[in-house]
Amino acid sequence: MAKRVLVVDDAIFMRNMIKDIFMSGGLEVVGEASNGLEAVEKYKELKPDLTTMDIVMPFKSGIEATRDIIKENDKAVVVMCSALGQESLVMEAIEAGASDFIVKPFRSDDVLAVVKKVLGEE
Amino acid sequence: MPIEMSKYLGIYVTEATEHLEALGRELVELEKNAADSLVDSMFRHAHSVKGMAAAMGYEASAVLAHRLEDIVQLVRGDRSKLNGDLVDLLLAATDALMEQVRAAAENREAPQPDELLGRLTGTVSALTGRAPAPTRVLQAAPPTPSQPPSPPADAPAGASNFHGRWAIQLRVAASCQVPGVRAFLVYKRLCNAGQIFELRPPIESLRSGRIPEGLISLELETSAPASEIESLVKNIAEVELLSLQQVKPAAVEPGSQEPSAASKSASQEAHRTVRIRTELLDYFLENAGELLLASANMREWGKGLPAQIRTQFNEGVDRLQLLVKDLHGKVMSSRMMPLASVTDRFPRATRDLARRHGKEVDLVITGAEVELDRAIIDSVSDPLLHLLRNCVDHGIEEPKQREDVKKGPRGRILLGVRRTQDRVAIELEDDGRGMDAEKLKAIAKERGLITAAAAAKMSDNEAYLLACLPGISTATGVTDTSGRGVGLDAVKKAVENLGGKFEIESRRGRGTRFVLDLPLTVSVVNLMLAKVCDEVVGLPITKVLGAAEVDSGKLSSSRDSTFLPHENSLLPVYELAALLRWPSAPTSGARPYIVTEGEAGKVALAVDKLLGQEEVVLKVLPAPLQLIPGLSGVSILGSGRPIFILDVPRLLEHELAAS
Repeated sequence: MAKRVLVVDDAIFMRNMIKDIFMSGGLEVVGEASNGLEAVEKYKELKPDLTTMDIVMPFKSGIEATRDIIKENDKAVVVMCSALGQESLVMEAIEAGASDFIVKPFRSDDVLAVVKKVLGEE
Repeated sequence: MPIEMSKYLGIYVTEATEHLEALGRELVELEKNAADSLVDSMFRHAHSVKGMAAAMGYEASAVLAHRLEDIVQLVRGDRSKLNGDLVDLLLAATDALMEQVRAAAENREAPQPDELLGRLTGTVSALTGRAPAPTRVLQAAPPTPSQPPSPPADAPAGASNFHGRWAIQLRVAASCQVPGVRAFLVYKRLCNAGQIFELRPPIESLRSGRIPEGLISLELETSAPASEIESLVKNIAEVELLSLQQVKPAAVEPGSQEPSAASKSASQEAHRTVRIRTELLDYFLENAGELLLASANMREWGKGLPAQIRTQFNEGVDRLQLLVKDLHGKVMSSRMMPLASVTDRFPRATRDLARRHGKEVDLVITGAEVELDRAIIDSVSDPLLHLLRNCVDHGIEEPKQREDVKKGPRGRILLGVRRTQDRVAIELEDDGRGMDAEKLKAIAKERGLITAAAAAKMSDNEAYLLACLPGISTATGVTDTSGRGVGLDAVKKAVENLGGKFEIESRRGRGTRFVLDLPLTVSVVNLMLAKVCDEVVGLPITKVLGAAEVDSGKLSSSRDSTFLPHENSLLPVYELAALLRWPSAPTSGARPYIVTEGEAGKVALAVDKLLGQEEVVLKVLPAPLQLIPGLSGVSILGSGRPIFILDVPRLLEHELAAS
C-alpha cells in the first residue's frame, strides 16, 4: 500500500509542488495544512506515515507543530522543508524530533530519496 | 622511567598534554556551567593522565593526577563542594602536571610539587574525612606494545556490562547543500541510540558545516546490535557509512575506557597527519614562490624562440605553470592553522586576570576554527592577548560598579571570528565602560599630536584610534592609564604589518569593540637587511651566498673593474648604491659586501652596513613602483620601517643594458 503523506506549507504553490513530486514517486497525499495549528489537528485525524513540514508559518511554527506531533506520537515521521540559511532552525526542529529535512528549491529526485530513506523503503 | 618505556615517551607527552590542555579548558568552563558531561569529561582526562603517568613510572605526576581525579570525583557527587578556590587548586595541579610532562619531554628533573601535593591531599581528606587511596605506579615490566599504556590502577574488576562500543566512520556527500544539518541529523540519531565519544570534528564544527572532506568519526556506546546501527545510518540520505567496527566492551566506570580509546584515535589520526617543522613549511612556501617566478621568466624567454619550437615550448611552460600554481596553493593551505591554537588559552587567561582584579568576566569565543596562515597566527597571538587584557583590566567595571549602572555583576567579552572570501575579521568586544572620544581628542591636542582643526573634524571612531598613538592615555579611568596607549600602538602596528586594518568602536557606558581585519594568507620571506645611503634594503636570504667585511686594500682592480677575492676566486664588485642610482659618497677602508648570484655568476655587492636577518611579510609593489627595474616587493619591518626588496639579477641586467 502506498505510504500516506500530510503536506504542511502556508504557500499553495509549495504544497502543489510537493504533492506532484510525491504523486510521481508513488506516495499518496492524504491531507494538507497551511499552518502549524492545522497541521497538528490534521495529523491527529489522519495519522499519516509521513508529514512534510514548512518551518516559518502563521499561528504556530513548523518547529512547534513538530514538537506537538512528536508528543502525540514519538514514532511520527516529520520531514522539515527548509531553505538555505535556515540551518539553525532545522537543527532546532531535529532537536524537537524531526526525522529529516529537504532543502528548497526542491528537486524531485532529492526529495524522494530523502523520503524513501526515512520511511525505510530503501 | 624504566628504560623500555622510553619508546612511549613521545606519545605520552603528546597525549598527556592534550588531556591536560582539555582539563584546563574544562576547569575554566566548570565555574560557569557544572554540567554532568563536563565533570565526566574532566574525570576521564585526569584518570587517563594518571594511568599513563603511572605506566611510565612518573610517580609524582601519577599521584598529582590521582588527587585531581579524587577531587573531580567528589565534585561529581556533590556540586556544592565546588568554589573558586577549589578551581584555583585544580588549575594549579593541572599546571604542575603540565610542567612535569614538559620536563619529561626535555629529559630533565621536574620540581617536586610537595607543597601542592600537600594541599591536594589535605583537600581530599577534608572533603572525605579520610586519607586518599595510595597511587599505584609501575616500576618495572612495561606493557607490551600491543597493549594500551596502562590498565587503570583502580578500575573495577570485571565490571563490563552488555554494552558495546563501536568505532564509526561516516561521510556526508559532497553534493549535500547543508552538510552541517545533515551531520547534525546523523549525530542526533546516533545520540538516540547510545552515548557518543571521540566525535571528530567536534559538534560545534559539525553544526556549522565545517567537516573536512565530509568525514566524521566517532565512537558509539550502545546496546544496539551492528545491524541496527547500520540501518539507522542507511535511513539517512546523503550519508555514507564507511566503516563500523567494534572497539571493545565498555566498562561501567566512564574513565576506565579512556586510555585505550585515546591512544586508538591518536593512532588513527597519525595515519592521516604528520607533524612538520614550521621552518620546513616556510622553506616550501619560499621555494614554491620562487618556482612561480622562474616559470613566469621562462614564458618571457619563450618569446625569443623561433616559431617552430615556440608552440611546443609554450605548451610545456603552460603545464609547468599550472603545476607550480597548484603546488603553491597546496603549500599555502598546509600552513593554515585554526585560530583556536591561539585562543584556546584565553578562557584561562581571562579567568586568572579577572580573579586578580576581583572582577567577574565571561569570555565567549566563536569561530575559532577559522584557519589562518601560521605567520598571521603567530603575529596576532600577542596583540589579541593584549586586547583581552585591556578589556578585563580597563574595559569591564568592578561588579559593584556594574550593578550601580544596572548591568549585572558579570562582565562579558565576546571574541568572534568571521571569514569572508580572502579576509578574516577578528572582533573583541566588551560590555564595559567604553572609551571617551572627547577626552582622547583633548589629550592629543594638549600634547600637540593633533591640531584643534583636525580634532574638530575627527569622527569618534577616528578619535578612539588616538589611543594607539604612543603615550596617550586618559587619566580619568575612562580608558585608564598604564600601558594602554603603548599597547594599542603595538597592536595597531602588528595588524598593519600584516596588511590588515585595526579599528575601534566604542560607546560610553556600553562597551568597546576592537576589530582586526586581516588577510587570510601572507607570503613570508626571510631577508638579509643592508643599509645603503641611509636607506634599508632587503635581499631574500635564499639568494645570499655569503657576506664579508673586506678592507678596500684587499680588492684587486683591473682597468675600470674591481674584484673581491672570495673562496679562491675573484668576484666582480658592484656598488649597490650605484646600481640603484642612489647618490653615494666614495668610501675607503673596510666595508661589508654581500655575495649573491647574478645571471652571469657570483657577484659582490658593496653596501654601507649589514643589519642582519629578518622574516617579513612580502607585499606586491603597488603601481607604478612595479615599473622600477630590480625591485621585487616591499615590506614593513617589525620596527615599522618600510623597505624595498631587491631582485639583484634584474638589477644587474638593467645595469649591463645601460652601460
